[in-house]
Amino acid sequence: MIEASVKRKLGTFALSADINDGGFICLAGRNGSGKTCFMKAICGQLPIDEGFVRLGGVDVTRLPVERKGIVMVTPGSSIPHLRVDPHLRWGAKLRGATLDEGRVSRVKEELGIDFTGRVRTLSLGMRERVSLATALLTSPKVILVDEAFSNLHEREAFVSTYRRLASESGIDVVFSTQDESEGRFADHLYVVAEGRTQKRA
Amino acid sequence: MNWLRAISLAALVLLLIPIIVLLYYGLGPFRNPAGYSVTVLRSIELSLFSSAVAVVVDIMLFTPLAYYLARGSDRLAESLVDIPVSVPHPIIGVALLILDSPISPTGKFLIGLGINFYNTLLGLVIALVIMSAPIYVKSMQPYFESRDASSEDFAMGLGASRLRTLVSVVLPDSYDGLASASLISMSRALSEFGSISIIAYYVLQYPFYGVSSASITIWEFFSGNMAGGLQAAVTASAAMILVALPIALAGHYVRRKREKT
Repeated sequence: MIEASVKRKLGTFALSADINDGGFICLAGRNGSGKTCFMKAICGQLPIDEGFVRLGGVDVTRLPVERKGIVMVTPGSSIPHLRVDPHLRWGAKLRGATLDEGRVSRVKEELGIDFTGRVRTLSLGMRERVSLATALLTSPKVILVDEAFSNLHEREAFVSTYRRLASESGIDVVFSTQDESEGRFADHLYVVAEGRTQKRA
Repeated sequence: MNWLRAISLAALVLLLIPIIVLLYYGLGPFRNPAGYSVTVLRSIELSLFSSAVAVVVDIMLFTPLAYYLARGSDRLAESLVDIPVSVPHPIIGVALLILDSPISPTGKFLIGLGINFYNTLLGLVIALVIMSAPIYVKSMQPYFESRDASSEDFAMGLGASRLRTLVSVVLPDSYDGLASASLISMSRALSEFGSISIIAYYVLQYPFYGVSSASITIWEFFSGNMAGGLQAAVTASAAMILVALPIALAGHYVRRKREKT
């Protein structure tokens, strides 16, 4: 369950957005509507002027980025010099968690990670699979996916698999898209326009 | 006629004239064996050694500062970094002298521990660190700033602190930046004269007992303290340029190569 209500002024642009749901959540809006800003404000990369972020009832607004339990994945999110397997385990290792090897191989298989090598040498789509899988295996409370589903082959199948895997691990996912119809993949749909959110489903 | 290009090349030639003069006279008309004697070669050795050690210290101590400045918004710290190179350099030598002299409490303390800056390798290296670190920071900071921050944001989301992100995510991907900043600050250290002429005119320690840095040896010839006079000074200068120039050029070459990719 993620409850966020944030305000931030950036020049002439004013972000004033709310979200109050759990599960798989779609954030739809055009370029420049404020989707990325909203996500950055939730995970703490963008400081907010006022508001709060609560995860499962726990206030994480003032926690530093690395301790909020929120992973944001964008198309550029990867650690380029790592190889695929260490990359997948990196977040869990940081948190001192022991990873169940069965889970690692299942996530790899289900998300189509059947390649190896240094992440920097992979194609964009492959890198995104690795980053999204890394986020899952780190077991945060929330994963924010900023347009990182957009460059994938067999996208629909991937997104529904990702949804299932996240829900099995009790992770809420918020993903952004420019296409409102992608709300069909999600439990809830929020439309973002001019820095404001509106709940549609 | 491209006037911008013409004016720029003329300005560049103006800058390079002293180097060309030294190379021409040093290797040609003024060539004097005293200018490449064992004394001079030992000086160059000391300069290379102390500058290399200073750069290692720069990397270890000042890489975090460069990253902090690149990713933070600490304008005050940013403007403070430049101060040591913006005051007359001998003043830094004087400061180090006071810090480690019996007239100051810090000096009493350091001497009590057996730590001595005056005419030691330690004093020489500390002076070179202070004079080269600002150059190092100012070379690394824009490098870090030009990096796409997505991998760092991702790492922090996964639970890495800023320092951990620097060590485990940024540095393994920054060898080119480190190499070019190190070479550029090493050439800065090699060229230092003012501060070391106060704190370590010569080193009284093994394996450089009685050896002065190259810039000081050149000054010794020029001022007549050492036999050889102007001709030896110019020859030694040319020798030093031949050693230092490739280091500076390599630093800039690595940087250009990086900016193109």
